[in-house]
Amino acid sequence: METLTLLSWAFDVTLGLTLMWLAWRALASEDLFKGIVLFIAFGLLMALAWVRLDAPDIALAEAAIGAGLTGALLLGALAKLEAGAESRSRRSEILPRPADKTKVFSGLLVFLLLALVVMLVYAIVKLPPLASGLSAQVAENITASGVSNPVTATLLNFRAYDTLLEMAVLLLAVLGIRSLAVVQEPRGREPGAVLDMLSHLLVPLLILVSGYLLWVGSYAAGGAFQAGAVLAATGVLLLLTGWLPGAWFVGWPLRFLLIFGLAVFVAVTLVLQLFGASFLEFPPSLAGSLILLIEVAAALSIGVTLTALFLGGRPQPEPPSSGRAEKRNTSGTQPS
Amino acid sequence: MSSDLFYALTGASLFTLGLYALIKHAHILRKILAINVMGSGVFLLLVALAAGGQQAFDPVPHAMVITGIVVAISATALALALMLRLREASGLAVLPDTSPEELSEQLPEAPSDVASKNNGKNA
Amino acid sequence: MLAQSFSWQVTVIILPLVAALLCFMLPKWGRWLGLVMAFAITGSVIVLAYQVMNQGALRYAVGGWGAPLGIDLYVDGLSLLMLMVVALVGLVVSVYSMAYFKAGKAVHFWPLWMLLWTAMNALFLSADIFNLYVTLELLGLAAVALVALAGGVDALGAAMRYLLVSLLGSLCYLLGVALLYHSFGTVDIALLAERVESTPAVWAAMALMTVGLLFKTALFPLHFWLPPAHASAPAPVSALLSALVVKASFYILLRLWLEVFSQDSTAAAQLLGVLGAAAVLWGGVQALRQTRLKMLIAYSTVSQIGYLFLVFPLASLMAWQAGLYLLLSHALAKAAMFLAAGNILCFGGHDRIADLDRVAQRLPLSLTAFALAGVSSMGLPFSGGFIGKWMLLDAALQSGQWWWVAVIIVGGLLAAAYIFNVIGHSFTRAEISHEAKPVPAIMEWSALVLALAAVLMGLFASWPLAVMDIGAPFGGGGS
Repeated sequence: METLTLLSWAFDVTLGLTLMWLAWRALASEDLFKGIVLFIAFGLLMALAWVRLDAPDIALAEAAIGAGLTGALLLGALAKLEAGAESRSRRSEILPRPADKTKVFSGLLVFLLLALVVMLVYAIVKLPPLASGLSAQVAENITASGVSNPVTATLLNFRAYDTLLEMAVLLLAVLGIRSLAVVQEPRGREPGAVLDMLSHLLVPLLILVSGYLLWVGSYAAGGAFQAGAVLAATGVLLLLTGWLPGAWFVGWPLRFLLIFGLAVFVAVTLVLQLFGASFLEFPPSLAGSLILLIEVAAALSIGVTLTALFLGGRPQPEPPSSGRAEKRNTSGTQPS
Repeated sequence: MSSDLFYALTGASLFTLGLYALIKHAHILRKILAINVMGSGVFLLLVALAAGGQQAFDPVPHAMVITGIVVAISATALALALMLRLREASGLAVLPDTSPEELSEQLPEAPSDVASKNNGKNA
Repeated sequence: MLAQSFSWQVTVIILPLVAALLCFMLPKWGRWLGLVMAFAITGSVIVLAYQVMNQGALRYAVGGWGAPLGIDLYVDGLSLLMLMVVALVGLVVSVYSMAYFKAGKAVHFWPLWMLLWTAMNALFLSADIFNLYVTLELLGLAAVALVALAGGVDALGAAMRYLLVSLLGSLCYLLGVALLYHSFGTVDIALLAERVESTPAVWAAMALMTVGLLFKTALFPLHFWLPPAHASAPAPVSALLSALVVKASFYILLRLWLEVFSQDSTAAAQLLGVLGAAAVLWGGVQALRQTRLKMLIAYSTVSQIGYLFLVFPLASLMAWQAGLYLLLSHALAKAAMFLAAGNILCFGGHDRIADLDRVAQRLPLSLTAFALAGVSSMGLPFSGGFIGKWMLLDAALQSGQWWWVAVIIVGGLLAAAYIFNVIGHSFTRAEISHEAKPVPAIMEWSALVLALAAVLMGLFASWPLAVMDIGAPFGGGGS
C-alpha cells in the first residue's frame, strides 16, 4: 500500500512537471511547427492528468477538442500562414536593430509574474480544506435529472443555461469566421493511398464511436460535446482526404445544420414552457428522453460547427474570381 | 501535500507561464498558444481543488471545465481566422505597432526551413 | 401556472437569440427580421420594466433548481436600467444600421449584433459568476467579430488585439471564479455575499477578477486596445462598443464590489479612484491631440470611463447613483457621437478634424447631435452628464475627499476643449473641399434621437433615480 501511494505520487509529480516543461517548450520553441506539435502533446498529457483527477468526461473532451481539434486548427492555420508567405522579403526591411529598453520592461514583467505566482500559491495553500462544493446537492437531485452521469446532469439539466449560451458561443465563432474569410479554391488534392484507405475504414468507425459516446453519456463518461468532437474529427478527416461539400450543401442546408442544436434546445424549452414548466425545466419523467433529444441535435451541430471551424471560412461554390471581387468591393462601409 | 494540491499548483504555474508568453512573444500564433496554455492552467486548478475535499466527487467544476474547453476552441478558431486575415491584409502575423525589437523575434524561424517542412507535410 | 413559470426576463434573453438564428438562417430577410426583432426586444424590456417597477426586484430560478445548484436570473433597479439603455441604444442603432450596411455586410452584421444583444441581456440578468463568464465570452467574441467587419488592416489589427485582451481578461476572471467557488461552494452572487469572509483566496480572487474586468472595461492604463478598436470599427459597431460593451464588464465589477468584495477594501478602492482620475485626464489630453474624429471620440470614452471609477473611493449611496447616472448618460451621448461621426465619414469620405469643411451647414442634424452629445459629455447644465457630475461632486465634498473635485472640473474643461475643437472646424471651409455623398435622413435622425435622450436625462432625473432604488442594489434605503 505504501509503495503504491508513493508510486502514484511519483507519477503525479512527473506528469505535472512534464506538463510544465511541455508548455514551456511549446511556447518558447523557435519553430512554430514544433511548438504546435509540442502543444498537442501537452493537450494529450492534460487528458492523462484529467484521468488522474477522476475526470473521465473532461479527459475525453480534452483529448478530442483540446488536443485533437485545436491541434488540427493550429496546424491548418500554420499551413495557410506559410503558404501565403509572399511578403517574407518585406519583413527584413522593417527590422532595425533591437533597442535596449526592453530590459527594464522584462525585469518588471518577471517581477509582477512572480508576485502573481506567490499570490496564487498562497491563496491555494490557505484555502479552507473543507470545500464541500455542490456534490451533495447534485447527488440529492440526480434522480430527478433524468440521467445518472452527474456531469451530464449538470451540463444538460442543473446548469443547462450555461450550455445553451456555450452553444451560442460556438455558433458565434462560426459566424465570425464566415464573416472574415471565403474558402475559394477547392482543395481538389489527391489524398495518398494510405490516407484514402484509412478514411474508408475510419469514417464509419468514428461515426459509430460518436453515437456510442452520445448514448453512454447519460450514465458514464461521454455526452454531446465528446460525441460532437468525434463527429468533427470525421469531418476533418473527410476534408483532408479531399472531400468537399457539394454546392447544394453549402447554402441553407449547412446553415441549418449549424443552428440545428441550438434551435432544438430553444424549441424544446419553449414548448415545455407552454405546458407550464419554467425556462429549461424538464419534467423528471421526460427529462431523460428530452436530454437525449437535445444531445443528439447538439452533437450533430457541434460536429458540423467544429468541422466548419477547421474549414476556416464561408465555403463558396462560385468560381474564386467572383468571390474575391465581391469581397473587395464590400470592404468599404458606405451606405448604398 | 496531496497530489490534488500539486495539480492545482501546476495549474497556477501554467497560467503564469502562459501569461508570460502572451506578453513576450510577438507572433500571434504564439499568443494564441499562450492563451490556450493559460486556459488549461485555469481548468486544472478548477478541477484539482474540487478533488481536494474528497467526500464525494463534485461534478459541477467538471461541467464548467467542459464548457470552458468548448469556449476555448471557439475563441481559438476565431483568433486563427482573424490572424490569417490580418496576415493577408498586412503581410505580417503580428499586432500593429509592434516594436522592432519584438518583430526581430519573428526572424529565427527561418522562412525556408519552415516552408520546406510544411511542403513536406502537405505532400 | 403559466403566470408563475413564464418570465419576461427569459423573453429578454431568448428573443435576441432566436433573432440571431433567424437572421442567420434567412440572410435575405436578415435586415427586416433584425429590425422587427429589435422592436420586439425593446417591447419586452418595457414590459419587464413595468413588472419590476410594480413588484420590485425579481429572482428567477432557471430550470426550477435555484441557487446554488442551478442558475438564477436576477433583476433589480441597476440591471433594469442597464437593460433599458441597451434596448434604447440598440433599437436606434438597429434603425441606423438598416441604412448603413450594404447587403454584403448586412448578412454578417445582423446575426452577430443579435448575439451581442443576447450576451448583454444575459449578462445584466445573470446572478451567477460562472454564467457571467460565459456571457462575457459571448460578448467579447461578438464584439471582436463586429469590429473585424470593417475589414481594413487597422480594423483587423485592432480586432486581433481586442480579442487577445478580451480572452486574457476572461481567463483572469475565470481564475477568480475558481477560487471563489472552492472557498464557498457556490457561484451565486447572493449566496457568496452571505458566505464571504476575508481570506487570502478571496483577496486573490478580487485582484484577479478586478484586473480581468478592468482589461475589458479599458480603465487606464489598460485602455491601450480601446481607441484603435472603437475608432476603426464600422460606425454603428463603434457606437455599440463604446456605449454598451465596455459598460457590461463595468457592471459585473460594480456588482462584485457591491456584494462580494464589499468588506474593507479601502486601499484597493483608492487605487481604482486614482486610476480613474488618471484616465479622465489622460483620455482628455489624448482626445485633444487627435487629428481624426473617431479617434477623438474613442479617447473621450477612455476619459469618461475614468469618471465611473471615481465612485469607488467615495462609496456612498449618492456616489454609486452618480456613477450609474454618468454611465447611462455617457452611453446615450457616446452612441450619438459615434453615429454622428459615421454620418460625417459617409458624407465626406474621411474623418480628419482639420478638414471637416462646413459640415455644420451641410449636415446640420448630425452636427447638432454631436454638439448635444458633447454638452452631456462636458457636463453642462441641464444634460444627463450634468446631473451625474453634480451628484459626484456633491458626494466627493460630503466625504471630504475634495481632490476628486479638481479632477472632475479639469476633466470637464478638457472635454469642452476637444468638443469645441471639432465644432469649430465644422464651421470653417477646408482647403480641399470634398465631394459630398448624401447621407440617408434616417441615419441623421438616429444620431439626433440619442443625443436628445442624453440631454433629456438631465431634465427628467427623478425617474431613473427612483428606478435605481428598486431592490436597493447600492445598499442604503430601498425595500
